[in-house]
Amino acid sequence: MLERPLTDASTPVAGSGWRRLATWLGEPKTLGWLAVAAVLIGWELVVIVFGFNPIYLPRPTRIVLALIEMFRNGGLTTDLLYTLGRVFGGFAIALVFGVAIGIWMAISERFNAIADNFIAALYPLPKVTLIPLLIIWLGTGGPFMLTISALGAVFPIVLNTLLGIRQCDPGLVLAARDLGATRGQIIRMVLLPGAVPSIFAGIRLGLGVSIILVVAAEMVVGKLGLGARLYLAGQVLETEQVFAVLIVLATLGIVITKTQDAIDVWLNRWRVA
Amino acid sequence: MAMAGPAVAIDCEGVGLTYKAKTGTAVNALENVRCRFAPGKVTAIIGPSGCGKSTLLQIARGFLDPSQGRLRFVTLSGEPAAAPAMATVWQAFNLFPWRTVLENVAFGLELAGVARADREARAKRALAKVDLAGFEDKYPKQLSGGMRQRVGIARALVMEPDVLLLDEPFGALDAQTRLVLQEQLATLVDTSGTTAILVTHSIEEAILLADTVLVMTARPGRIAAEIEVDLPRPRSLATTHDAAYGALFDQIYGLLRDEVVRAMTTEGGEA
Repeated sequence: MLERPLTDASTPVAGSGWRRLATWLGEPKTLGWLAVAAVLIGWELVVIVFGFNPIYLPRPTRIVLALIEMFRNGGLTTDLLYTLGRVFGGFAIALVFGVAIGIWMAISERFNAIADNFIAALYPLPKVTLIPLLIIWLGTGGPFMLTISALGAVFPIVLNTLLGIRQCDPGLVLAARDLGATRGQIIRMVLLPGAVPSIFAGIRLGLGVSIILVVAAEMVVGKLGLGARLYLAGQVLETEQVFAVLIVLATLGIVITKTQDAIDVWLNRWRVA
Repeated sequence: MAMAGPAVAIDCEGVGLTYKAKTGTAVNALENVRCRFAPGKVTAIIGPSGCGKSTLLQIARGFLDPSQGRLRFVTLSGEPAAAPAMATVWQAFNLFPWRTVLENVAFGLELAGVARADREARAKRALAKVDLAGFEDKYPKQLSGGMRQRVGIARALVMEPDVLLLDEPFGALDAQTRLVLQEQLATLVDTSGTTAILVTHSIEEAILLADTVLVMTARPGRIAAEIEVDLPRPRSLATTHDAAYGALFDQIYGLLRDEVVRAMTTEGGEA
């Protein structure tokens, strides 16, 4: 904090270029990206110098080339679209049912008692363990994929909707009643908007689980999709392609996380003073 | 904002309320309350903490059913009448934090199906009445406590209620803000001619705003005294220097003091 104003004040014109570069290099953000670049370059050099077998560790440049090639001629776009369709299709189903079940549990003690035990049993169960059973019931097609994806997302959404509504200030419900709100209006215009930040926290968790489950399911059964692609590439020792798919999955994660951050900020605009 | 409905009085006829506490014991909150909230008048309810003042207000609102006695709505000639339209101003403001100031004030009209342009115009007028023009697009979190409660008042007044219920409206505000808002509310209530029921801890607030002050006993709450306030209106801080004001204050304080001491010395009385 103290360094910058001091150096700025005493910097002669001649040295300013280097100083500015040094300051820029010292910025935390620059440093973060420089570290990534250093690792990639180091990786590239180590593979070349020690002559690693590309089956074990391909060079980053080769991975990028493989990635481009897969997108251009290898149908990776189709795989990506399949995976996205499965993740978001199942997630959309989970969102509708999850919010509805959460609201119902919050307003009906009886339904809550009924649903509570099933959720207690199913929520902690690792959902991947349901894959064999679901394949027996649904086969390996679209219904199976959507079900496994929805199963991953629905529980966090139910529980967070329930939590969000329970945390609603009873004074707000009273105020709405006082102004003439019907039961339906209280649910739609008071409980639900009040629970939105909490529901969104559930969406965050749920979407993450959906991605894991869809990719895992694709690895087990799929002919299409990123998971299938990953698994098949591994089977034939196309390590460059394995890395390429991992890059796509990581990028997908970054995009989703950043989008969620932005939506979070927008949703919470009324929370900050 | 003139009184729209017919002049209807709210009569409490031996109203009592007993409820079961979480521990399982029956709590007698109100006992044999007999009083009238007269149309076009301001009635203040004052009493020690936990005496059931707010409970009585909830019964008058129709949110709670009395376990003994009954609540009646009657015209001045004694005919039974339909419940008058009511709106409440809350101690905790109870504004919807995700709605802007304008959306908060327009909420009741929105529930009633009033078209957007109409309800927003009416909400803006109500906000202007409480000196909050220009704050329409703020969120409650961006306002001070006094401003938030003025939003609360506007939200109730925009409904043009026959009866305005004020549940310790300034209890959460600092002393200076309170003084200013008391005067503003006194003016608003005077000019609107609405019936108002004010629950308060403050003797000053009760005298400045009310035509009648009901002093309640410690739990179980009963009406200990009904005191007429015939000080001239408009009343302001200057009214408090009046000799008649002092006499009323002492009279109410004398009644309250015994009850407050009793509430403090009985078990659970402070709750």
